[in-house]
Amino acid sequence: MEPLLNGTGITRSFGPTPALRGVDIDVAEGEIVAVTGPSGCGKSTLLHCLAGILRADSGTVTYRDQNLGLLSEAARSRLRRTEFGVLFQFGQLVPELTAVENAALPLLLAGSGRREARTVALGWLDRLGVADLADQRPGAMSGGQQQRCATARALVTGPRVLFADEPTGSLDALTGEQVLGEIVQVARAQNTAVVLVTHEAKVAAYADREVTLRDGVVDATGLGLGMRA
Amino acid sequence: MSPGTLARLAVAGNRTDVLRLVLTAGSTGVATVALLAAATVISVQGYADRYTSALLAEPGLRPGVSIALVLVSLPVLALAGQCIRLGAPARDRRLAAMRLAGATPGESVLIATAETAVAGFVGSSTGLVAYALGRQLIAARDHFGRLRLPTDVLPPIPVIVLVVLAIPLLAAVIGAVLMRRVIVTPLGVVRRTRSRGPRPWPGLLIAVGLVLFGLPLNWPDGWHRPDWHLPARLSYGVLGLGVVLVMAGVVLGTGWISHTVGRLLRRYGRMPSTLLAGQRLITDPWHGSRTLAALLVAVVAGGATLGFREALATDIRAQRSGGSGLGAEPEFYFNAYRLVLIVVGLSAVVAAAGMLVALAESIVAGRRSYAALTASGVPRRTLAASVLWQTLTPLVPALLLAVGSGVALARLFDTHPPAPVPVPFQSLGLLGAGALLAVVLAAGAGLLVLRSSTDLEELRV
Amino acid sequence: MSTAHVLLGLLAAGPRHGYDLKRAHDEQLPRAKPLAFGQVYATLGRLERDGFVVASSPERDGGPDRTSYVITEAGRAHLAAWLSSVEPPAAHVTGEIFSKVVVALLAADDTTAHDYLIAQRAAHMRRMRELTAAKTGPNATTAELIAVDYAIGHLDADLQWLQTTLRRVAGPDKE
Repeated sequence: MEPLLNGTGITRSFGPTPALRGVDIDVAEGEIVAVTGPSGCGKSTLLHCLAGILRADSGTVTYRDQNLGLLSEAARSRLRRTEFGVLFQFGQLVPELTAVENAALPLLLAGSGRREARTVALGWLDRLGVADLADQRPGAMSGGQQQRCATARALVTGPRVLFADEPTGSLDALTGEQVLGEIVQVARAQNTAVVLVTHEAKVAAYADREVTLRDGVVDATGLGLGMRA
Repeated sequence: MSPGTLARLAVAGNRTDVLRLVLTAGSTGVATVALLAAATVISVQGYADRYTSALLAEPGLRPGVSIALVLVSLPVLALAGQCIRLGAPARDRRLAAMRLAGATPGESVLIATAETAVAGFVGSSTGLVAYALGRQLIAARDHFGRLRLPTDVLPPIPVIVLVVLAIPLLAAVIGAVLMRRVIVTPLGVVRRTRSRGPRPWPGLLIAVGLVLFGLPLNWPDGWHRPDWHLPARLSYGVLGLGVVLVMAGVVLGTGWISHTVGRLLRRYGRMPSTLLAGQRLITDPWHGSRTLAALLVAVVAGGATLGFREALATDIRAQRSGGSGLGAEPEFYFNAYRLVLIVVGLSAVVAAAGMLVALAESIVAGRRSYAALTASGVPRRTLAASVLWQTLTPLVPALLLAVGSGVALARLFDTHPPAPVPVPFQSLGLLGAGALLAVVLAAGAGLLVLRSSTDLEELRV
Repeated sequence: MSTAHVLLGLLAAGPRHGYDLKRAHDEQLPRAKPLAFGQVYATLGRLERDGFVVASSPERDGGPDRTSYVITEAGRAHLAAWLSSVEPPAAHVTGEIFSKVVVALLAADDTTAHDYLIAQRAAHMRRMRELTAAKTGPNATTAELIAVDYAIGHLDADLQWLQTTLRRVAGPDKE
């Protein structure tokens, strides 16, 4: 079966420092894939390339026959507000907007009416158990509530792929586990594929399979180490 | 993105953003009133003895009044431009978050400039209302049936509409220009920084401005004068353009001055505070241009006014000794200049207030590094001294440049005076010292912000 | 012996039959090895001998053996003493994985050690995924969650230790 999202030979450097040195990865429809590895292995950069936030230096990222490398910055932004959802460790909510406005943001940017966008966003906040915070700003919410609100925003457009980079990294163990459980549950219910970047085996265990990176390449052993095979 | 969404996202903000909106609206409002007044004065036809003031009655004097009013509106507009930088870190974060949620690069710039345009439009509309109300309020005639101000004349409606629309548009364009080096990525905001320091090219702007200003007034004798006459309005336009270029040159030149002063401070400074200040000046040489813009523009205008006054004084002295007419009421002309100087002084105060805001903002923006320095044992005194060095060292040469450019403008107005016009060093010195004092006061107030910004709590944010 | 203490704990809430005790044990400690009937009765016998429980009169309502057990005052005291005594953190490091990894790194050739480590990690991950799936399943009870958390925590500790050890031995980014 044709994968939903495919990366082939992705390389990306920051100045003279290579972060990715030729990574191949496939994500099937509805599949949850964990990307793991030690700090600095390039896992976040890979997520940014797959989500079209960064452009790969070479190699291709293909989403449903569209080569992300050939799309303009604006076209990739539009892809992000329709087909993709993005969830980071923190800092993704607009502090000046309320929870429901934040959750509705991708819909609003895509041109939905405000009333309609609000209704849909409220539905998602409700589904993640934070509907009563709809008119609060992120500053007045706990970390877990913020991540739930961010999850609502990431899923509000019914994306086909959810990109989550250490989504529970700033939460305590129990809250993190609850939030992660909800993300996975909702993603499965929607048949949304998830690319889950984490350095924790515990978090990676929520995925269907695991891709381990080491020094910017895929480490088939899963050990994330430079041992000779 | 629907217009409603654009408006909502544009005005989303915290207290700093509200302050920015209010300041932008306020300054564009004042500028609108000044420009409408200028348009009104220029719209008066012929010899108008229905006015108490000869400044308004004489057709030959009205363009001068008009130009003075336009000059006054410039520092106020510069303040509006300065306000755009206020609260930039928070706005950058907001824009990055919107980009992550799927806003295109164009949309993020649109959101940022729409905010300025909205504030500018609110300001110019308020200015229009204030202008209309003001006309009603001061329309009183004296017992000769004369008017104090031209409240009986309205500029043509298209001109009014143009002013009210052009000002927010101008503010938005300034905003967009300021944003052009800012790339809002979903991962944060990247400022494209030049690898080389600023160059002294703005000096050329000053030169070109002076030539443009001087050319219509002093066509060189040997040159063939074109047969067609420059329409009066066009030559005012060229004059105005010259003034704007000189002012822009002074403001932009401050970048180079800051950079050079920073290098000198770093090379010859022996105190930690001078080293800190020098490095900060080199890292961000445009900081001075941003914070001092309005003040420098006001000083250029002030220098020009003082130059004109001196030329007038010389003229009157020459005529008195020659025994000819005009000397009847020289006090009247000096009063006029005094009026302009008061207005310049007021705009300098506006500018100093804006500078205080900008300075406080830059300290707040850098609070983490200030707090980190304090935490690692740098005394607050040293930090305070570094802020003062950083503000004052580039200011002195920049002020000299501004005063000099202003006087140069004035001296070009009449290159063949009946008697040599002395340079009014004393009053120019007062002008420079006044500006310096305003900055010192603003910087002192800014240091109060530094105190709260060096709390170790700031490291946790 | 902790099975005895668990049974005492279950009896502290009220008298129970032997079969009841087995079921309650398996429910409260879902991921533990299920108790065999024989073990339940053997343990109850020892507890009765020590005077911690007494068998109450069998109810004759048809079943073959409906002897129910009641905790005694001595039993409660014993349970309380156990609950308030601190378990000393293990004095010695034990564990099959620990020994095996150390020996593999010491004695085996690179390929053998490497293959073992990959396989061990994969096995741990597989188990962790199963447990996580059970945890996120629709009808997980609190007892189930507590037990699964315990299991995942230990697997995670093993994995982290494994990874750290390998990096220590391999050194930073040897190419």
